[in-house]
Amino acid sequence: MNLWRRLRPARTIWPTRDGWWCLFAAMGLGVAAINTGNNLLYLLSSMLLGLVVVSGILSEAVMRGLRLTAILPEEVHAGRPALVGATVANRKRRIPSYSISLEALGQGGPGRVIYLPRLSAGDERVVTWELTLAARGRHRLPGVRVTTRFPFGVFLKAGQVILRAEVLVYPALVPVPAHLLRRIGGSGPAQTRRRGRGSDLHNLRDYRPGDDPRLIHWRSSAKTQALTVRELEAETSTDTRIVLDGTGARDPARLETGLSEAASLACHLLRAGATVELAGPGLLVPLARGRGQERRILTALALYEPRPARAGTGLARAAGREGAALREIRVGIG
Amino acid sequence: MSPTLAVRIATYLLVADGLAALFLAGLIGPLGLAVVGAALALSWWQEPLRARVHTRGLGAALAAAAAIGSAADLLFLADTLLDGLVHLLLFLVLARIFTLRAPGDSRVVAFLSFFMLVAASSGAFGVGFLFVFVACLLLSTWMLLLQHVLAESAPHAGRVIVGIPPQLAWGRGLLGLAAGAAAATLLITAALFFVIPRVGLAALPFRAKLGPLVTGFTDRVELGAYGQIETDASMAMRVHIPEGMGAAEEIPGLRWRGIVFDEFDGRAWTVGQPDRMAVRRSMTADFRLGGYRGQGRILRQEFYLEPIGTEVIFAAPRILRLEARAREITVDDMGSVSIAQPSARLHYIVESELEAPRAGVPDAWGFASADDPAVARYLQLPPLPARIPALAREVTAGSRSPYEAARRLNEHLAREFAYTLALERRTTLPPLEEFLFVRRAGNCEYFAASLAVMLRSLGVPARVVGGFQRGEWNPYGRYFAVRMRDAHSWVEAYFPSAGWLSFDPSPRAAAEAGRSTLALYLDALRMRWYRYVINWSLRDQVEVAVGLRRQAGNWGTWVAALRETPAPRAVWPVIALAAAAAVALVLYRGRSAPAARAARRMPRFYARALRALARRGLRPSPGETAREFCARAAAAVPGWAEPVAAITVAYERARFGALTLTAAEEAALEGSLAALARRRAG
Repeated sequence: MNLWRRLRPARTIWPTRDGWWCLFAAMGLGVAAINTGNNLLYLLSSMLLGLVVVSGILSEAVMRGLRLTAILPEEVHAGRPALVGATVANRKRRIPSYSISLEALGQGGPGRVIYLPRLSAGDERVVTWELTLAARGRHRLPGVRVTTRFPFGVFLKAGQVILRAEVLVYPALVPVPAHLLRRIGGSGPAQTRRRGRGSDLHNLRDYRPGDDPRLIHWRSSAKTQALTVRELEAETSTDTRIVLDGTGARDPARLETGLSEAASLACHLLRAGATVELAGPGLLVPLARGRGQERRILTALALYEPRPARAGTGLARAAGREGAALREIRVGIG
Repeated sequence: MSPTLAVRIATYLLVADGLAALFLAGLIGPLGLAVVGAALALSWWQEPLRARVHTRGLGAALAAAAAIGSAADLLFLADTLLDGLVHLLLFLVLARIFTLRAPGDSRVVAFLSFFMLVAASSGAFGVGFLFVFVACLLLSTWMLLLQHVLAESAPHAGRVIVGIPPQLAWGRGLLGLAAGAAAATLLITAALFFVIPRVGLAALPFRAKLGPLVTGFTDRVELGAYGQIETDASMAMRVHIPEGMGAAEEIPGLRWRGIVFDEFDGRAWTVGQPDRMAVRRSMTADFRLGGYRGQGRILRQEFYLEPIGTEVIFAAPRILRLEARAREITVDDMGSVSIAQPSARLHYIVESELEAPRAGVPDAWGFASADDPAVARYLQLPPLPARIPALAREVTAGSRSPYEAARRLNEHLAREFAYTLALERRTTLPPLEEFLFVRRAGNCEYFAASLAVMLRSLGVPARVVGGFQRGEWNPYGRYFAVRMRDAHSWVEAYFPSAGWLSFDPSPRAAAEAGRSTLALYLDALRMRWYRYVINWSLRDQVEVAVGLRRQAGNWGTWVAALRETPAPRAVWPVIALAAAAAVALVLYRGRSAPAARAARRMPRFYARALRALARRGLRPSPGETAREFCARAAAAVPGWAEPVAAITVAYERARFGALTLTAAEEAALEGSLAALARRRAG
């Protein structure tokens, strides 16, 4: 396979409509020249062939020396546009590259096209485009292909598809359902009253940029002529276990919805400062907090696949025994 | 200038270039050129009309009109198929240029203009076509580049332009790009033109029509007919003398012999009943016409005939060998050579043995008799006035030999008579008698006819030859430029010991002042155009190939000589170091950066697992993801499904989740790896 990879041409060239006209005219003139013995027809045919050759040479000159470096997003969530980019560098010392197109390939073919009229020698340019992936899990990005029609537009020269990176798409984040929000206020030991993002009212304070508009206390704001927000009481317990309830094998749609809810809930809690553990059939992310834990949980949810009920049940029971002191929130996955 | 305006200008210039090509080829006359040119100018200033005439049904209407008009033209109006096609082409060009809307329409006009040059190539063999061709190349390159700029500048759905638009980003570099592209195209075109093999079959009737036959080079010529020719300054032919032939311009009495006349009826010379013979081409692709006698120098001449409409082969007498693109030629017993079905421009090469200068010929009187069939037709005379032979006897009185008599007559005519192109008749006397005794002036035909008749009256066989004088020497191209006005007649007289010798009694006017250096250079350019473009042939290609092979052989000799030279000892360590450096560079560049980054990002435990699986012959394919490889490995070895799955899950978490393995997880992974090792050992 290495040999085939090395032998595969770095570029492909294909005539455009005008290119086909040019080639057919050259062939026709060649036939006419042979039949008539007229050297001027040979001259005109040579002119068309010369244009073809020069087109190939110049298009190769602008394609040579281009280097692309992928810029991948830190997080990609299903259904949410992610910004993908590439750095285009012209490594040639003196020759600029003209009329370069970057084709961000879509699922079925060319997607968006980014056109660079000119890239000077030694210059770099960062280009970005949006990409939306519909499903969670591991995905390979379609890649980018460099093309050009320079100089005459009679041939389309394309490089190999490059920047095929593999990304992990996290489940889509959705607003936390109401029934899950109510469970966050459930009973548990070690109740303390402190500021947080719980559901009970802790205090009233002035509005600050970045606060959730839903927390504006309109009655107090009307009285004081200033925006006032409710400062909620943190959850009575900072230790939470999110349990995936079910096997997820019966209803794929329900599975995806449940995973999204679990991911959203986990992000909500973790960003509120809580410690979270994720458990499910054949799945366990131990109790932790912070950015790293959020990434671990999202990764586990992104890669989750339905398991047989027997193994799942056993794992769930084991998790239940170990974490008897944790507040448990169950999310159904069908 | 905006690119849109530039494209428009280039389009109109291309059409003008095509029209010039058609005019040079004679496919349109001055009137047609004026009409089309006016329409072209009108289309430039009729922007509102262009916007209005573009209707939905106009295209179909124009197509129908073109079809009907073209059919009518071909059936009733056009002289040839080519003329009809040219008319259709002009119609299409004008229709298209009047309806220009999108920039892409200009490409269609450019293609049509190019086909104008194609049509003109059948008749425009002059060097003017070179300038038309180069202009077309420059304009086409420029227009195509501008078209590309406009096409890329236009907005497209799903397309984003990063930076400033192309027409601004390229800026003044656009002109340089166009010039560079045109120069490169021209060089490659020239290379391809000379390399493409010439294997013409000449099956299609697209040749240009030959011009009318020129008076004077037929089987009959009346006295005074050359007068019209001698005022014609158009080019008749160019005779190239290769290097090594000495100072060709100093050869005395050099003329280009054509047709020979042997019968005279008192008013006109005709070709009698010569023995004609068809000669086929020899094995060496030439025609052998005579053997070398060892008397005169050998002169090689290369002829490029303009389309003067004659089948006659002109050459310096006496022809030894002829190289021509023909299967056979016709030769008569007077040495006249003709070629059947001449092409529009005839190109051939001749080797001749020139007449040696002679002080005298010792043949005595009475060697020729009217009863001798070999020379009888060269002594034929019409009824003549008695004073013509009397004049001949008077001038040659006391001559000791026929050669001396011929020379005296030649000198007498040249000295006592004047050369003139005014050939009006003054009396009712026969033309020759009037010339000799009344007007005492005439053109070369009268001089030649008089000399021939007087020689015949003295019993010396004589004949009249029609051809050309040498012409004007062009040192920049080493050729004689021969014009129609150089058409000439002279006499050949026969002597047993010397054969046919040339005598020219015409006191031709002094040669005109030479042309300027620029004119000579331009004419030399024309010569090279004919030589290396119009007449470039397979033989030329073979000669070039042989020359290159000879040079390559010289190169091989040079390399062999270099190899024999002992190299210093210090050279070998340097060569070794250079080779080592090259190998090191190749090895260094072989380790690509992406591969290195990929290796760095792969966890160590996963690399160990891949090695373990590789020992069993399982390796991930290019583009195969870790999970896909896991499924394949599990299918191949079902017992490995659980440990491989565990390792793959951990790999995905580590790579995509930035997970740091805990001690327990590391222990579990070690167990899975150990399981792989145990099962392999088992």
